[in-house]
This record gives sequence, C-alpha cells and structure tokens, in this order.
Amino acid sequence: MRPVLGVTLKGIEAVPIEIEVEITGGLFAISVVGLPDTAVKEARERVRAALRSNGILLRGRIALNLAPADLPKVGSLLDLPMAVGLAAESGAVPVGKPAIFLGELAMDGRLRSTKGAVAAALLARRNGLPLYLPPQNAPEASLVKGVEIYAAPDLASLLAHLKGERPLPPFAEPLPEEGEPPAEPDLCDIKGQAAAKRALEIAAAGHHNILLVGSPGSGKTMLARALRGILPPLTDEERLETMLVRSTLGVRTNPGRSRPYRVVHHTASTIALCGGGASLKPGEISLAHRGVLFLDEFAEFHRDLLEALRQPLEDGTITVSRASGSVTYPARVLLVCACNPCPCGYLGDPQEPCRCAPHVLERYRNRLSGPILDRIDLHVPVPRLTPEELVCLEGRQGQPSAEVRKDVLAARQAQEERWGAEGLHSNAEIPERLVRTGIRLSRDVRPFLAQSARNLRLSGRGISRVLKVARTVADLRGNDLVTVEDLCEALAYRGGGTAGDVA
Amino acid sequence: MDHIETGRYGESLAERYFFGKGWTILGRNVRVRGGEIDLVAMDGEEMVVVEVRTRSIGKTLPAEESVGPRKLRVLVRSGRILAEKCGWTGPWRIDLLGIDLAYDGSPEFHYLPDITAGRPWY
Repeated sequence: MRPVLGVTLKGIEAVPIEIEVEITGGLFAISVVGLPDTAVKEARERVRAALRSNGILLRGRIALNLAPADLPKVGSLLDLPMAVGLAAESGAVPVGKPAIFLGELAMDGRLRSTKGAVAAALLARRNGLPLYLPPQNAPEASLVKGVEIYAAPDLASLLAHLKGERPLPPFAEPLPEEGEPPAEPDLCDIKGQAAAKRALEIAAAGHHNILLVGSPGSGKTMLARALRGILPPLTDEERLETMLVRSTLGVRTNPGRSRPYRVVHHTASTIALCGGGASLKPGEISLAHRGVLFLDEFAEFHRDLLEALRQPLEDGTITVSRASGSVTYPARVLLVCACNPCPCGYLGDPQEPCRCAPHVLERYRNRLSGPILDRIDLHVPVPRLTPEELVCLEGRQGQPSAEVRKDVLAARQAQEERWGAEGLHSNAEIPERLVRTGIRLSRDVRPFLAQSARNLRLSGRGISRVLKVARTVADLRGNDLVTVEDLCEALAYRGGGTAGDVA
Repeated sequence: MDHIETGRYGESLAERYFFGKGWTILGRNVRVRGGEIDLVAMDGEEMVVVEVRTRSIGKTLPAEESVGPRKLRVLVRSGRILAEKCGWTGPWRIDLLGIDLAYDGSPEFHYLPDITAGRPWY
C-alpha cells in the first residue's frame, strides 16, 4: 500500500484511494486520471497554489493517478492527499508510514472542512492507520474511538509534522457536552390533550411511530414539536450512526446528543425523502435516523412518496439502487404524522359541522393506504378544545417536559438492558422472532389478545406492533411483565385503519 | 529606430537582465520549425524559454499584454520542439519579459515567470 491515501465516499462508506504521482520533465502541466469528477479535476489548481504558498514549486509534467482507477472519485476531499503525494514525490517531505489524508485546500494552504470525516475515521480504524484532517472535522471524527487523529489547520503545519520538525499533538479534545434540549413548547404549556401527551411519551420511550389526527388549530403541530423536549439523548453508538449520515452530506453540526428532528414539507420529492439523485445522497429519512421524521399534513403528500416509506419503516434501512450502484442508508426513524380527519377538517368535531361530501371523504381516506397506517403504532385523536378550556388562565397542565423526559429515559434504559445484547436500542426495533419469545406476558394476556385481535381484525404485523407498544407501556410503568392493562392501553391507540375512523 | 531595431535592442537588454539574475544564457533568436525563440537560458536546473516583448514610447498597452493565446500555443510548440531537438528531458518553462522604453531609451522591465502554469495544457 502506498503511503498517501485519500478516500472517496460510496454511500456512507469510505473507500481508500491510493495517490500515485509521477513527475517527468517538460512544460508544467498536471493531469489527473482515475475517473475524477469536476471537483477533483479542479483540485490541481488548489493544490498547485497551496503548495506554492508553502514554497514548494512544482516543475515539469505531473501525472496523478487515483487508484482504483475504475471507481468514480467525487468531491473536494481529495485535495489534501493529492498535495501531500505531490510534496512527497517532489522531495519536500520524506515518505513516511501509510496514513489517510482528508481535506479541501484553500489557495493559501489553509484546510477547509469536508464531508465524510466520520466514514474516513471508521476506515482508518479498520486499517489501523492515522488520520489527518481539517480541525473543523476533528470533533466528529473523534466519535470513532481508537483512531490516531491529527487536526492540521493548514498545509504548512501538516508538512512540518510529516518532516518531524513540529509534531502535531493527536486530537484529544473532549466533546462539548450540551445541556438539556430546549423544550419549546413545553408539554405543560399545551392546554388539555392529556391523551395525546401520554401517546407522545410512549412514542418517545419506545421509538414508536405516531399519527396525530385533529381539526385545524387543535394543536397537532405544537404537540409534534413538543416531542423534541422529551426524547432521550442519543447513546454513543447512536450518535456515531447519526453523525456518519450527516457527515457524508457535509451538514455542519456539532456532534451533540440531541436527536435529529427533520420536518418535511408535503411538496418534497421521493428522492429528497428517500435519498438518491445523480450522486447518491442520503435523504431526509436517513438524516432523521435515530430521531424524528415529521410529516405535517400527512394526507397532502404524494401517494407514491408515502408508499416508498413502507419498506424503510419496517426494516430500519433504505437501499437506493441506481445505475451508478446501490447503497444502503440507515433509516430507523420515529415517524410523526399529522393530518386532518377530512378535507374540510371538521369531521367528528363537536361544534363545527363537517361539510365534506361522502365521495370526497372516500377519496381522502383512499389517499392513506392501509399498509402505511398499519405501520403506525399510535393513532391519536387530537380534539379541539372548547372555548372555556382555551381561555382558562391556569398556566400549566400536566407534567413538564423535563419530568416526562426522565420517565422516558428510565424506560429507554430498561430497553437497552433487555435488548442491548441483540444490538437493539428500543422496543420498536424488536424483530419478529423476539416478539413471540422475548416479550414476557402475564398469564391472562394471551387469551385477551386473541379475543381483541379477532374483534379489531388485527393483522399479524398489527399484533406484533401492539405487543411492542404494550412492552413500552410496561417499561414506562417499570414492569418487567406485560399485563392486561398495558395491552389495553396499547390497543386503545390502535386505529381501525383510516384517518377518519380515528377522529 | 524602427520596430525591428527596437526588438533587437530589447533582446539585448533582456539578456543582460537575466545574466544579472544569475542565469546561463544558451542562445538568442533560436529558430525552430514553426517559430523563433527570443532567448533560451538555464535557471538552475530548469530550462527557460523566454519571450521578450519590447514597446517604444507612445504605446498605450504594456508590452507584455500583446502575448495572446495564439502566441502562447506557438511558444509551447516551439519549446517542445527545442527540448526534443537538443535532448533536454528535465523540466522547462516559459517566461515573458515585457520591456517598456521611455523617451530617453531607459527600460522598464515587467518580468512574468512561468506564464503557462495553472492553465490547462496546450
């Protein structure tokens, strides 16, 4: 293996790229071969200028080969390895032991942040290589433990390090720990809606999908926003997973512990949601991995877009296949949907009459297919409050978000203890084989479940999902055994199948 | 002084200028197929093909701005032919020296090294 390695991204995985340099006599020219895209081709100008500003003048005809030659190279993250390879070939720095370099160069030799730092760090760990990158990318890369990471502010300090003149210290700064997430709005600031608040608590505790159905102005969106304040913090492993996706897109975020919360407008395209495009990028569902994907006005989304969510909601991953190859992105989301019960919005409202014709209602219901609703565990009606309730001056109602979050966290920890050995984090992820054997039921639950499944015409998946929710309810109660009461509560959130039936 | 004499005068000024920089002058007005090279010199380990442009008084444009893409292509081709003919395998480059002559004949030098660097190859 050659000493100077770069990476290129294939999905969320980093592929090592060997930089081969040949300098021959002749008029100055740099040619880059090995399927570079425009950004990589243009790197030769940045590299030349950056080396020149460090007193390294390139001479003669230079050929750069990026191996493997048949893999397309994308993006500006190959600037730094190309510069180091050229500096080594022209004799400015000694050829040392193999290392991975990552970074975009400014004309004056400063290093700019790039995407793919986490993926590169994982690659460095697999191969036991040191990793050199821009200081802005060092915190996210340091989430990967056991990698020798060096953050170089500019090319000059990196070259001095490689020459052994001024060694850089390995990056070992502790990550900034952030405080509690802002509970805005706080659960106790939302008037009424005790049932919906309870459902949110269950959703947060077990990572269950939730559908809020209510008339305009009943507070669906506000409830969905309040979910942010009660979600448990990301564990180390989960944080690495979310940062891996974000860093492949180059989204500049601090590697904090608050869960992703992605709001998608209903005009979004399938590619924006699921990932894809000419250069295969992760979509919103992958950016929301381990966090919340909020689809407001659920019924207004294109049908094929919602149907595209079916498989990732079940598997927790999404495989995007294109002519340029297929990649798998993580997609374990907590889906939060909000919609009106009917087009006019007032079906089932105690005060306002519904103005929708029956065939309009029928068409509206058809928009939400059975399979997608079957994958949503908690169907929650959000009724409008009466004027008296709305104007009542009593400020706080119910538990504040911080307290709810404590209960949620305790329930999440119980789940981690139970399923941690299986590599699972929450009840929503339990695979089918463990649903039947791993969830301990009290003796009277089984006949009760059989009876309810018959009455509610639950599908096989429906039964599994009800059991998972019941498991979460029991966890919130602190029970190791799922009782009939837990199951009853879980069944109460199980809608009949259409949005209209919930309201 | 007509323009040919002006050119000659400029080339001898250039020779002195580069000699003062410590270069070894290899030749003047070297004819190759398809062109002529004003000055060939060695700057240390590198061969330099120099294009000298001289402008006398009363011209509005600086001398060095009269070298356009077509002249650059000719220079690159001439340089390649020269390197091949004399068996030079090391690096070489193309420099441009613009000379503006004042009324009293005193020169003002505008030296532009490596004018093809950073361009796509020709």
